Amino acid sequence: MNDNGCIHLNNFKAAKGTNPYKIVHAFFVTCTSFEARRYKATSCLCFTCGKPGPRMHSCLHCIFFACYDGHIQDHSKSKKHFLYVDLSYGNVFCAQCQDYIYDRELTEIAMSHRMKEAKSLGISVPFMPWLPNNNEAMALRRLRKRRLISPHTTIGLRGLQNLGSTCFMNCIVQTLIHTPLLRDYFLGEKHKCKAQGSGKCLVCEVSKLFQEFYSGAKTPLTLHRLLHLIWTHARHLAGYEQQDAHEFFIATLDVLHRHCMNGVEDTEKKENGRCNCIIDQIFTGGLQSDVVCTSCSGVSTTIDPFWDISLDVAGPGSLQACLERFTRAEHLGSGAKIKCSKCRAYRESTKQLTLETLPIVASFHLKRFEHSSQIDRKISAFVSFPAELDMTPFMSSHRRAVDMGAADNNNAPEGIFEDNRYSLFAVVNHLGSLDAGHYTAYVRQMKGSWFKCDDHMITRASLREVLDSEGYLLFYHKTVLEYECDVS
Amino acid sequence: MTVNNTIAHQRLILSGDRERFKELLRRRLIECGWRDQVRMLCRDVVKENESNNVTFETLVTKVTPKARAIVPDSVKKELLQKIKTHLLTQKDQ
Repeated sequence: MNDNGCIHLNNFKAAKGTNPYKIVHAFFVTCTSFEARRYKATSCLCFTCGKPGPRMHSCLHCIFFACYDGHIQDHSKSKKHFLYVDLSYGNVFCAQCQDYIYDRELTEIAMSHRMKEAKSLGISVPFMPWLPNNNEAMALRRLRKRRLISPHTTIGLRGLQNLGSTCFMNCIVQTLIHTPLLRDYFLGEKHKCKAQGSGKCLVCEVSKLFQEFYSGAKTPLTLHRLLHLIWTHARHLAGYEQQDAHEFFIATLDVLHRHCMNGVEDTEKKENGRCNCIIDQIFTGGLQSDVVCTSCSGVSTTIDPFWDISLDVAGPGSLQACLERFTRAEHLGSGAKIKCSKCRAYRESTKQLTLETLPIVASFHLKRFEHSSQIDRKISAFVSFPAELDMTPFMSSHRRAVDMGAADNNNAPEGIFEDNRYSLFAVVNHLGSLDAGHYTAYVRQMKGSWFKCDDHMITRASLREVLDSEGYLLFYHKTVLEYECDVS
Repeated sequence: MTVNNTIAHQRLILSGDRERFKELLRRRLIECGWRDQVRMLCRDVVKENESNNVTFETLVTKVTPKARAIVPDSVKKELLQKIKTHLLTQKDQ
């Protein structure tokens, strides 16, 4: 397809510029403001027959709307106004060429209007594929080596040596390396570090690790530098004994989050009071806690950030049941009175946790290890978990709608345009007992292609095997990503 | 289109919900592979008419009936139900 327009459009542009198109497009194709929507709603009717369609067009030479059922063509012929814009898609029709024509300059205008429209409606910006700029296109031409990715490709998979009870680290590293958005971030070399080359930044170390995993080499890697960095920055994990993989995961995110901050300017650090580093962008969600006073029904709401959700496993047999119980209103009883700000007295109350915002990666920790003063034990109960998970029922907005009786399961009015579906991409398992245990991980390398990572050994696995395993940490990735735009 | 329909249509545009529904539909059609199937149908038409210049009109007339037929029922049902629910709740307000 050529995007140089046609001679007629080029002549038109030379005489009148792109402004006529810009105005028609911003008001009647993709409305960039509320005012534009008002114009579109009230005036997009055929000047000849008064109907709103089919296929409304606007003349580019004068103010004239008409449908494609012959009326826009009549106008074009009688007035010799040969160019008109389709109001559904924004393409320009040239009556002299008798077809829609494509012009790069107009396409760019249309694209910027689509971004503004998305922003004005508060919806996700349409996905735009990467287009190489001149430098990148040159670089691609220079580097002739290409790799074909097929279902049998094993690139991105590498075993990790056990350095003496370091399987807790290996399984978390495998999970992080196979987190799709984190991979895209690091392979895109997005980490710009001030402390570069100092050997002190964990983010730089992970960045190097991604290069190692995707280098095509197959020998197992040794993570002594990474382990040392974590020992230095999270002292409670230092030592040669086996550690809890969950604790290691949280500590690693924490160190990564702190080190991300080293590389950026102070002004960029926070947006709306929220950290904007890659770790927080991917892993942070908001947990809402509503405490309702039983005497005055006053609600006090707090929202706290979270990186993962820890779930009790005694009782329920599935992840959904665990989440259902996690988000159920709980009566706090007479032993745990809370000061109500309305009554100004200590009252009995109910507490309910719901998810206010969801992270891109939802991590669940099944509390299989019970530590109490009497006994330390491991709960090996089977908890099933799905490959695809819809988080809508556990959202604060959904719960609110259910309480008001307005919703039948997934059709809460405000939830119509929400998409809270997640796909499983990694599972960490703990085998054996509390004192003598071993960690392994299942990771998804490509869609539908699973591998078991047992230190230096990587073997192909089936989804069934993954779902039947005794999960300890479960990692889900958002199925559809929403894009934000940065136009003002 | 009746007067009532026109008003409903105008309200959907005004609130921006028409665009939101369009975006939802676009997303569903991409997810279920419909867009790729339609792209293949278009390729076929272009290949069949390789000798002459294929216009947008020929593509639309040849592809539309097939493309409409392969929209999955689940997508139609979801959109229909959501638009219905939406219009009913709007009416109450």
